[in-house]
Parts: sequence; structure tokens; C-alpha cells
Amino acid sequence: MMPEKENILSKRLNKVLETRFENDQDTLDALKELSTFYGENTIQARRNLRSQIEKRSLEINQNFLASFREVKDVFDNVYQDVVEMSQSIEEMTTKLKNAKAQTKQLLERTRQLQEESVKNDMKQTVSKAFLEKFQLTPEEVVILHGSKHKRDVTISEEIFVVLEKVQKIHADCKILLQAEHQKLALDIMDQMTLHQEGALERLYRWSQNYCRNVDNPEFTELVTRAMGCLQTRPVLFKNVLNEYCSSRRGVLAGEFIDALTRGGPSGNPAPIEMRAHDPQIYITDILVWLNKAIPIEKRNLDLLVKTCNKEELKEILDEALANICEGICQPLQIRIDKILNISIDASILYAVTNLIRYYKKSIGKITQGGLLNTVLEEMQTKSEQIFLLALQNQVNNALVRVEAPPRDLSPTSSIHHLISLLRDMLSTASMSEGREIDMIKIAQCVVDPLLRAVNEQASRLPPTDMAVYTLNCMYSLYTCLSLYEFMDEKIERLQAQSDAQVDTLTSEQASNLVANMNLGPIYTILQDHSHGPLSSIPGMEPSNLRNFLGKLDSVISAPDTVLLPQINLLASSTHKKVIQKRAFEVLLAIYKQLYEGVHNPVNMYENPNSILNRTPEDLSKMLMS
Amino acid sequence: MSTGQYNYSYIFKYIIIGDMGVGKSCLLHQFTEKKFMADCPHTIGVEFGTRIIEVAGQKIKLQIWDTAGQERFRAVTRSYYRGAAGALMVYDITRRSTYNHLSSWLTDTRTLTNPSTVIFLIGNKCDLEAQRDVTYEEAKQFADENGLMFVEASAKTGQNVEEAFLETARKIYQSIQDGRLDLNAAESGVQHKPSQPGRNTLNNDQQQNRYNKDNCAC
Ligand SMILES: Nc1nc2c(ncn2[C@@H]2O[C@H](COP(=O)(O)OP(=O)(O)OP(=O)(O)O)[C@@H](O)[C@H]2O)c(=O)[nH]1
Ligand SMILES: [Mg+2]
Repeated sequence: MMPEKENILSKRLNKVLETRFENDQDTLDALKELSTFYGENTIQARRNLRSQIEKRSLEINQNFLASFREVKDVFDNVYQDVVEMSQSIEEMTTKLKNAKAQTKQLLERTRQLQEESVKNDMKQTVSKAFLEKFQLTPEEVVILHGSKHKRDVTISEEIFVVLEKVQKIHADCKILLQAEHQKLALDIMDQMTLHQEGALERLYRWSQNYCRNVDNPEFTELVTRAMGCLQTRPVLFKNVLNEYCSSRRGVLAGEFIDALTRGGPSGNPAPIEMRAHDPQIYITDILVWLNKAIPIEKRNLDLLVKTCNKEELKEILDEALANICEGICQPLQIRIDKILNISIDASILYAVTNLIRYYKKSIGKITQGGLLNTVLEEMQTKSEQIFLLALQNQVNNALVRVEAPPRDLSPTSSIHHLISLLRDMLSTASMSEGREIDMIKIAQCVVDPLLRAVNEQASRLPPTDMAVYTLNCMYSLYTCLSLYEFMDEKIERLQAQSDAQVDTLTSEQASNLVANMNLGPIYTILQDHSHGPLSSIPGMEPSNLRNFLGKLDSVISAPDTVLLPQINLLASSTHKKVIQKRAFEVLLAIYKQLYEGVHNPVNMYENPNSILNRTPEDLSKMLMS
Repeated sequence: MSTGQYNYSYIFKYIIIGDMGVGKSCLLHQFTEKKFMADCPHTIGVEFGTRIIEVAGQKIKLQIWDTAGQERFRAVTRSYYRGAAGALMVYDITRRSTYNHLSSWLTDTRTLTNPSTVIFLIGNKCDLEAQRDVTYEEAKQFADENGLMFVEASAKTGQNVEEAFLETARKIYQSIQDGRLDLNAAESGVQHKPSQPGRNTLNNDQQQNRYNKDNCAC
């Protein structure tokens, strides 16, 4: 034996022996099955067992096969169905796929259309709004331009609303421009410009026509607003204004002539020319009328342009008012000329001059830079000239004949007359405007010829009379001039001339005094110191000196008696006093010399105090008090 | 009244003398207005002119009497010599007669003015050289002999006019400085500081009336 074979067998045996069938379920099941058909353990049975089992197995398999064949057939049918179904489904799927694709496009379109529709709606709203905002309605166009067929000339308030709209659109276009709608904006702007020009043109014609016919300016809202609109077109604006002015110019001139020649309704107030014989009243009435009428014109003009921008208008309005006033210039000038040419009295001419000045200024505050101002200026200058000429004439006429001064050496009647004329003129002039120049001119006009006349008259008198007469005239003139301002130059001259005359008279009076008191020889001796003691000189004896003292006493007791008779004719007490005082001063000076001489022991006077008892100081007190 | 008119420290009085037609008024006018008057009427009695000048830094007002040369006014014009600090004695170089009369004018001046009065001889119309009738030399000699200052001048062109008036003023001013001229003498023709208006001869009693009217009219 081979050990190995032995070993495998033992192992198998062991394995079988070791197997525990009670624990093997499969074996148990198999055994259970076996028990159903294997009832007796015989050899036959054992021999048959195998085939029995195989038979049994075949039977089972056959059964199984049959069963499966059925199942297979069923399955085959099912399969067939499924295949068919699958095919159908496939077809359907394809169909569906197609359908689905088609629907998507449709939806897409619908959506697009919807979107577009919304957009279009928007656009329409915008367009509508835009049109409303940037275009005129046909009605508005008609309001603006009038109906084409009817050649509409009347305008209504609405035109201003539309015009405003046009302007607003035009202005709004600037925003459009910025928003890059340039072409559109420019187009609309052009369009609006055309509208505006058209409308303004229409307003212009209308206003011009309106202004051509204003007799009594009561302006409607319409015309003032039209003017307000037209202000943007200076040329048109000015044309309308010109039309207005020329209309008013005519009316005003007519009214002026009426006021002059016809007066108010049914002669009340009376025509100004009724009183043409009185230059002052006549010119006053004329100028008062102007001074009243022109402010009314100015007010009306202001009303006409009340809606306009006033700042730019000042010059134009000034010009317009000046224009309106032009019509009255000629009739005015003719009348003033007439007044100036007929009046002869200087004082009336001066009053007329001042009236012209006053009203020229007053009117000049209302209207400037026009013909009227020029005419008034010319009239003023002319009036001033004529006045001065008349004054000169009046002075010359008064002085044409050289009068002899009266005995009392007071100013002659013509000098007197001229001085009172001067006083009157100066007193009027001192209250007028620009009085300084007037007063100086008036004084010039009167004083110089007057002084010449005084010189002429005085030249025919003896020296003392001459000086007294001259001084009296100077004094009278001074009294007049010193009441007024601006006469310093003349007064300085009068002063100097008077001083000269006073000096002359002082010298005359002093010589006269010295002569009357026989002081002449004494004075001469006193000047000469070559004689030895005074007491031994003839004429200087105490007796002679006492003689002099006697005369001196009478002078002291009645100082006025020693005056030259003419000195008493001096009109000014001051002049008189000055001359007297200065003459006495001469006397005193000589007395002082004499007194000192007498009291000087060298001169050997005995008891000098008994000869000259008055000290020079005493004498001075007596004479000068 | 402005105080401005008193912005001078002295008043010098002048007198212009000489035959009629020698050009006294023209000289004055040329000096005060710097203009020539071609058609100047004869002076009737006296005319008056003023101008403020400056000498040695001092403002001086000149009060100038232009006298008539016509004989008939001789008495009238004499009054104005007395107070003159300066005398301009004028002749016309084209008319010898006017030169010949100078001695008589000089005598008048010497007797009527005071010794310190400055006398200035003017040979006027020196623009009319062609018509000259008096040589410069003889006039100069006359002036020197009499201690006068002298120029030839022309009121027409203004030549030497200013100089004559100013030179006279300088001489007067010099006399004041030298003490030769007594300012207090009434007849010196010089006033130191202007007088108050109406100080001496024209009635003080009128003073308060001045401007009363104006005050109430304003
Ligand atoms: N060529 C020339 N003419 C002069 C000059 N000065 C004066 N005249 C003329 O001479 C004339 C007389 O001049 P006036 O100044 O009036 O003479 P006046 O000395 O004042 O004369 P009376 O007043 O009469 O004393 C006038 O016609 C002047 O035009 C001058 O310097 N040259
Ligand atoms: Mg003269």
C-alpha cells in the first residue's frame, strides 16, 4: 500500500465521519425530499434510486421547460409589444420634439411682439408728450399768426400765452441739444424762431397801427404787453415808439397852439396870448403850460412801456420824450424871441431870464438832450445877453449927460438912480440861482460906468469938492454893495478909492487947520534948529504963542467949526471923524514939538507952564474925545 | 467871505502915469489879465486893478491905479499919488512928445508922493521898432540922471511888462527890509497884513449890514 492512498481515504472517511448532518440544512432538505419517493430500502430500490432520481429530475426539467416555453412566448409577445410601443413612442417623441421646437419659436415671437408693443406704447406716450411740449397746436398757430384766409388783423390776449410757449419751447430745445438730439432740437428751434418772428411781426404791425391813432392815450393791456414783447426787437420797438412819438408830437404842438390862441373849452382858461402885453405873465403862463404838459407826456410814455425792462430803456425813452417835445419848440421859440425883443426894461428882462432859467431847469429834469432843451438853453443865453445889454443901455442912457453935482455934493440924481437900480437888481439876483455870476455881471455892468461918470463929474470940481463928491458917491455905492455877497472885488476898489480921497481931504483939512491957526510960521521955525533959543525968534514970543493958544481954545471948545465946510457935507460920519482926527493929529504933533521946545531950558522961556499950560496928552484927550 | 483873499502879507499900492495913449491901461491889463486890448478906450479918471505876486517868498497884493493921461483929469488923478509905493511912469517910444513930458510927470510924482516911492520908467510899445522916435540910450540916460529904474516894454507882446511890475515890487520890498520905508506912515503906500474890511475909511457902522440880506434870503 502506498501510504498516500491510504492517507487520502482516511482523510475522506474522517471527513464523512466527522460530518454532522444534523447541522447541514441542505442535506436535511435533500433527505426530506428523498423520503417522499424512497420508501423501502431494498437493493432494487437502491439500484433504481439513481434512475428514479434522474427520471424525476428529467420530469422536473421538462415541466420546467414547458413552463418556461409559455413564459417565453408571453415574453416574446410582450417584447413584440414593447418594441412596437417603443417605436410608437419614438415616433411620438420625434413628433413631440418637433412640436416642441416649433412652439418655442412662436413663444419667442410672441414675447418679442409683446415687448415691442410695450415699447411702442411708451414711444407713443413720449411722442405725444413731446409733441405737446415741443410743438404748437393748430389752434395755437392760428392765434399766433391769425387765420391765413381772413388776413386776421386783430390780436387777442392769447397770443401772449402762445408766444410765451414758443419762447419756452425754444428755450427747452437747448436742453434737447444737450441731450444729443441736435438735429431735432435745431429744427424745432428754427421752427419756433419762425413762429416768434411771425408773431412779433404781427404784433409790430398791430402796435404801430394802434400808436398811430392815439389821441388820448389810454393804453390797453394789449398794447402795453405788445410793447413788452417787442422790446426784444429794438428796431421794431423803436419804430412803434417813433410812430407814437410823431403822433403825440403833433397832438402836443396842436394843444400848445390852442392854449396860446384859443384857451380851454369855451375860453376857460383864457388863451395865454391874451396877456401877451405883460412879458412876465406871458412867459410864466407859457412855461407853466409846458411844465405841466411835458410830465403828462412822460407819464403816458412810461405807461406805454410799463411791461418793458426799464433799465435798457432810459436812453430810448429820453429820446422819445424829446421827440414828442420837438413840435412845441418852434412856436415856443418864436414867442420867447418876441418877448425878448420888445421888452426894454432890464429888471423885467432879468425876471424873464430867471423864469426861463427856472423852467428850463425844471423841464430839464423831465426831458433831456432834446431840441427843447437846446431851445431853452439858447433862449436862456439870449435872454441873459439881452438883459445885460438892456442894463448897459439903461446905465449908458442915464449917464449920457454929464450932470453937475449938486451944491451939497451928494450923488447926482442919475448916480442916485443907478445905485438904486443896482440895489434892486442885486437884491433880485441874490435870490436867483447862479446868483454869484449874475451879481458880479450886474455889478460890472453898473459899477464901472458909474465910477467913470463920477470921475467925469468930479473932474469939473475944485479939489476939495472933488474929493468930497467922489467920497460921497463911493460911500453911497459902498452902502449898496456891502449888503451883498460876491462884491469883494468892487468893494476893494471902492475902499482904495475912498482911502485916496480921505487922504486927500485929510491933507487939505490939516493944511487948512494949520493955516487958520497961524501955525505955519511956527512949524517952519520949529523945523529949523539953527537959530539959537526959540524965545528970541520973532513970532515965537510968548505973546504970539498965547495968541495961538487962544485959537487952540476955541478949537477945543468947538472942534467942528474948524472943519472945512465941505467936510460937513460928507455923507459918512465915519469919513468925517477920520479926517478930523487925522487933521488934529497933525495939530497935536506940532503942538507937542512946540511944547517940548518951550519947556526946553535951552530956549530960555520964562515960566514955560504959564505959556503952554496944557500938556500934549491933555490936548490929545480934549481933541480926540 | 473866504479867508483865501487874505493869503498875502503886504499890500503895495502902485500908480501908473504918463501921457494919454502911451498904453498905461494896456500895460495894466497885460499884467493882470495877460491879454492885450487892441481897442482900449481912454481912461476916465482912474481905473483899478489888482494882482497877487510873490517877492522873496512873500505874497504881496498889488493895488494898481491906472490914471487917465488926459489933461482934464489931472486933478482927479492927483489923489492917487499920495498913497503910492510904486509909480510906473510910461511914455510911448514912437511919440517923442510923450517922452518930452516926462520931466513934468516926474515933478508931479516927486511932489505928490513920498520920498521912498519907487519910480519906474517904462518906454512902452517897443514892439513898434520901425516907428521908434525915442532911442533907448537917451531914455536910459534920463532914467539914470533921475535915479529911476527903466525898461522898454510892450503891452502888446507882454515883453518886460511882468518885469517892470515885479522889479518895482522887489525894490519896495527891499526898502521895507532896509527900514527905509515906514510902514506906519499913512502915505507909505504899503500895508502890512491886509486891513480888516472897512477898517479905516469906509464906515464901520455899515459893517454889520453886510450879508444880512443874504442870510435871510437863503
Ligand atoms: N503896438 C502897440 N500898441 C499899444 C501898446 N500899448 C498900447 N497900445 C495901443 O495904444 C493905444 C492906447 O493905449 P491905452 O492903454 O489906452 O493908453 P492909455 O495910456 O491908457 O491912455 P489914457 O487912458 O487915455 O491915458 C491903444 O489903442 C492900444 O492898443 C503896445 O505895447 N504896442
Ligand atoms: Mg488908459
